[in-house]
Amino acid sequence: MLIFALVVVIIFCLNIGFAPISFSDILAILGKQIPFLNGRINLSTVSSVNQVIILQIRLPRVLAGAVVGAGLAASGVMYQGVFRNPMADSFLLGASAGAYLGYTLAIIYSSFLFLWLGLGLYQIVAFIGAAFAVSIVYSLARVGNKVQVTTLLLAGLVMNIFFLAIQNLFALRYSTLPGLAGIVTWLAGGFTNITWIDIIAVFPVVLFGIVIGYFFTKDLNMLAMGDDTAQHLGVNTERVRQALLLLGSLITAAVVCISGIIGFVGLIIPHLTRLVIGPDHRILLPTSVIVGAIFLILCDALARVATGVSELPVGVITAIIGTPVFIYLLRRRKTSYSL
Amino acid sequence: MVSLSIDGVECRYGSVKILEKINLSVEEGDFVGILGPNGSGKTTLLKSISRTLKPYKGTILLGKTDIYSMKSVDLAKHMAVVPQESSIGFSFTALDIVLMGRNPHMKRFQMESEKDMAIVKKAMNRTHTWQFADRPINELSGGEKQRVVIARALAQEPKVLLLDEPLTHLDMVNQLEIMDLVKELCLNEHLIVLAVIHDLNLAARYCTSAILLKNREIFAAGTLDKVLTSENIKSVFQVDAIVKKSPVTNSLYIIPLSPQKSTSPRNCAIHLICGAGTGTLIMKALVDEGYKVTAGVLNMLDTDYETSELLKVPTVNEAPFSPITEQTKRANLKMMSKAAIVVITSVPFGYGNLPNLEAALETIKRGVKTYVIDEVPIESRDFTGGKATGLLSELRKFGAIFIKHPSELPTLVNATHDMMELRKRSPTDIPGHVKEAAKAITQPTFRKE
Repeated sequence: MLIFALVVVIIFCLNIGFAPISFSDILAILGKQIPFLNGRINLSTVSSVNQVIILQIRLPRVLAGAVVGAGLAASGVMYQGVFRNPMADSFLLGASAGAYLGYTLAIIYSSFLFLWLGLGLYQIVAFIGAAFAVSIVYSLARVGNKVQVTTLLLAGLVMNIFFLAIQNLFALRYSTLPGLAGIVTWLAGGFTNITWIDIIAVFPVVLFGIVIGYFFTKDLNMLAMGDDTAQHLGVNTERVRQALLLLGSLITAAVVCISGIIGFVGLIIPHLTRLVIGPDHRILLPTSVIVGAIFLILCDALARVATGVSELPVGVITAIIGTPVFIYLLRRRKTSYSL
Repeated sequence: MVSLSIDGVECRYGSVKILEKINLSVEEGDFVGILGPNGSGKTTLLKSISRTLKPYKGTILLGKTDIYSMKSVDLAKHMAVVPQESSIGFSFTALDIVLMGRNPHMKRFQMESEKDMAIVKKAMNRTHTWQFADRPINELSGGEKQRVVIARALAQEPKVLLLDEPLTHLDMVNQLEIMDLVKELCLNEHLIVLAVIHDLNLAARYCTSAILLKNREIFAAGTLDKVLTSENIKSVFQVDAIVKKSPVTNSLYIIPLSPQKSTSPRNCAIHLICGAGTGTLIMKALVDEGYKVTAGVLNMLDTDYETSELLKVPTVNEAPFSPITEQTKRANLKMMSKAAIVVITSVPFGYGNLPNLEAALETIKRGVKTYVIDEVPIESRDFTGGKATGLLSELRKFGAIFIKHPSELPTLVNATHDMMELRKRSPTDIPGHVKEAAKAITQPTFRKE
């Protein structure tokens, strides 16, 4: 049902934009791309400009929203499960900032490095940045076997500021570089200039992260019982943690490379989903992934039309929605991870 | 045949030693109670056995394998842990929780099989948790929650079951049910059970053996009769306790008295006429206050007799269940002649112990201060056809002070004693108001009916 909702949302949001294109045209354009169906669809009534707008501009953009939303929600589930804390999220933990710094550095130095790796290289360096940031935050926040919420948030905040500062330094120093021209505005990430290549580069990574992550959902359930209990139930807690932190960072790095930093999706979505369907990660992860995709597509659609004049970065929308949720969470349970 | 052997284990938190020189060997079917005061290292010991806290020194072998060289999954197939308090704040259902117990037996990509479900159902039936299998765990009561956690442990099909104070927050029924269940598992499934238990009586009733920890080391280990002795309890917990064998459960039971107070000894003898346990707490209170307490005549094996042995209170004794003879009565009178104060508890009187009251009457006639604790009306504990009642009224005539509750006694006795001391020191120098005050305290005339 959720998948159906996702499809509906995708089609609905393809309709949103400056050029008015009717739903029937959209369906016709999409149908034409599907094998077996394409023979029966006549595109002669649809202008070729609209076809280009839908297929080359709007569809990649909407799909990017889906992939990024899914990825952020998935990494949110993983981080929250590992830290046993609903305040964890790739943005708050500094993973996004780390990835972003990595990405910026990769762009700056890619001309000296292996250019042939293309976006793959950016992702790898971004992944290193994200993993680095998360491991620092993790080791700072961990006291003995416990992760303190306040320390976690503070460490995440500090790392965030630090990595973004370094990133800014490099971005401004090399602002004349073609790839970096728009990068500063990415601080509140968005989906301008998304092409099919971006999606092809990112989608497999996100999918891989989610699928592998799914195999750890049982362990996440047991981690929720506490470290000792999980261990007594045969979970190698340290290894599961490391694996999930790496997977979360991998997904974060992949999505940051195409969208910049979009905050709070990984915070809100898993939390709201958990409120509705319960804490079982085996259901929570896939559901959050779809809900995250829907949420971000809608946010992006809103970002496109909200001001009526120019586009807003989608990060602005998620931050406006996410901050109240964050404050609510902070006030509701200050220390414990329970629902 | 599974065995657990702990050899020379020493545990530290940072550089602080928590446990040392722990040696222990446990076999199938053993139900070992880990006992000791707070901070003696009980939980730490359990943690090191459950692989949560790696010992600084020493080895813990399960069969012939060092548990710290095993994978968590492999250890979890053999060992299950019921933690002190399961902080499950989630809406996982009871069934979800118990299914987690199957985790060590499943591969990562495997779903629960029918066999797993059958094992889980059996575990839940045994713990009477199946009826709320679908309820969220955080809506269950403390006892139900604990039973679910025990079911999860059973679903692991362990050979070793570790319980860390499994009974905290549980009411009597739940405590007994859970202990019965664990005991049964221990016997029928040949489990090794190690349990940290605070309640010595529950330990005494269910465990097959025990270790008593004191100051990070094993103070005593072995069978219950060997471990749970008054001497051991006194030196480990600093509490005087009476240890008896219950004819009902055929196990030891322990009656702890209040912890020893450190008061300076008083040069004043008090004789207690008591029996059937009515004198135990009074004896303890007076000994704590520093008096030289004597008691008699007591039948051997009487609870008060055992207390007197424990507190090293001199007594005049009679054979068990025998009436007081003329000879022992005289011995008692001789002992009473040294006492400055005589206290008579609310003991029931029959022909067997009536001579004690006669002796008290003789003593009060010599002017010895006498207190009668009249907590239970004499009519209901007089089995001599009114003779005891008569003797008590005689005592009242001669100035015996009747008090309603034993807790008032120490204050009164202290006041009497202080006044005697004052008199001895300087009979003429006592200021009038002190005399008045002392008189008011020692002679609560309002209590005379």
